Amino acid sequence: MVKTLLSVFMTLALLVAAGIGEHFFVVSRFEKFGAAVGALYDKTLEERAARADAGAVKTLWESEKKSLHILIPHADIAYIDYWLGEATGCIVTGNFEEALSKLEVLSVICQQLPQLYTVSFENIF
Amino acid sequence: MGLIILRTAIIFIALLAVMRLMGKRQIGEMQPFELVITLLIAELACIPMADSSIPLLYGIVSIVTIFLLHQLMLLVDLNFKPFQTIVGGKPSVVINKNGIDISQLKKNHLDLSDLIESMRTAGMFSLDEAAYALYEANGQFSVMPREDSPKEEKVSLPVLIIDDGKFVAHNLSLTGTCEEFFREILQQRGVKSMRSVFVLTLDGTGKIYLQCKGEKYTTFRIRLPEGSSW
Repeated sequence: MVKTLLSVFMTLALLVAAGIGEHFFVVSRFEKFGAAVGALYDKTLEERAARADAGAVKTLWESEKKSLHILIPHADIAYIDYWLGEATGCIVTGNFEEALSKLEVLSVICQQLPQLYTVSFENIF
Repeated sequence: MGLIILRTAIIFIALLAVMRLMGKRQIGEMQPFELVITLLIAELACIPMADSSIPLLYGIVSIVTIFLLHQLMLLVDLNFKPFQTIVGGKPSVVINKNGIDISQLKKNHLDLSDLIESMRTAGMFSLDEAAYALYEANGQFSVMPREDSPKEEKVSLPVLIIDDGKFVAHNLSLTGTCEEFFREILQQRGVKSMRSVFVLTLDGTGKIYLQCKGEKYTTFRIRLPEGSSW
């Protein structure tokens, strides 16, 4: 009985702690990445963005996604890789107009993706 | 993660409710919540294992949630009796001193064939051999033999002639009898309508087990027609 109760409380504590930890971890990672994408967007808007700027965002994403792979379905991560690659390509070729639309998509993904993993009615059902 | 925990819990509760509603027919020697866990665990383990696009953590969290729910169910099972009945169900007495309890059979989505099959599995071939018979909460069948259980001289298999108001054509030909033969017998016994007969079985010695709906069962003997043997 004591053993069962103990296992219930320990498991519950573990799951709740992991759930809260995951929420803050995912949100903070995407906030950081979203801010970098925002900065690149501003530079692209002013047509000052260069390969190095896009490369810096890519490097940041590469380091962040390693830990995000544990928590987020890999297809969602691949989706960001795809749009970031497209945006980088447009910046390198100087096609800033195209790059802006790609970066806009990335910004929306950075805002929406963490929302998909929060506990809310629409996500549960 | 919180999402997965909640979704797992919801699926668990939904499956458990469905299993309870399906009655004892669907359960095989397990408590309903144990069966639900068995159903879920395999899938939960397999999906992240086979699909590399899903993080393994999703499967682990779901399995740990199932473990938590299992432990909670165990606590409930041991400590809260009314809740235990809701979650695990209670035994259903399907044969009592009056014969077959039709309402209990229907409540558990069982029919006469299921009951006769269970009786045979328990080693009893005639319905009047059992004083009490019940389906346990886990779906197992238990029988208490009658103290004065009739010992037949001639070993013969009782066959079902009327099942819930309808003749079983195959068994009529097997026994070499016809509908008219039994209609006459029923008329002699004061049975007004065929539809009121829940069960009528006949064995090779001519013994009939008859139970009408809402009445106590009776057993009596008849003379079998010439050449009737099986």
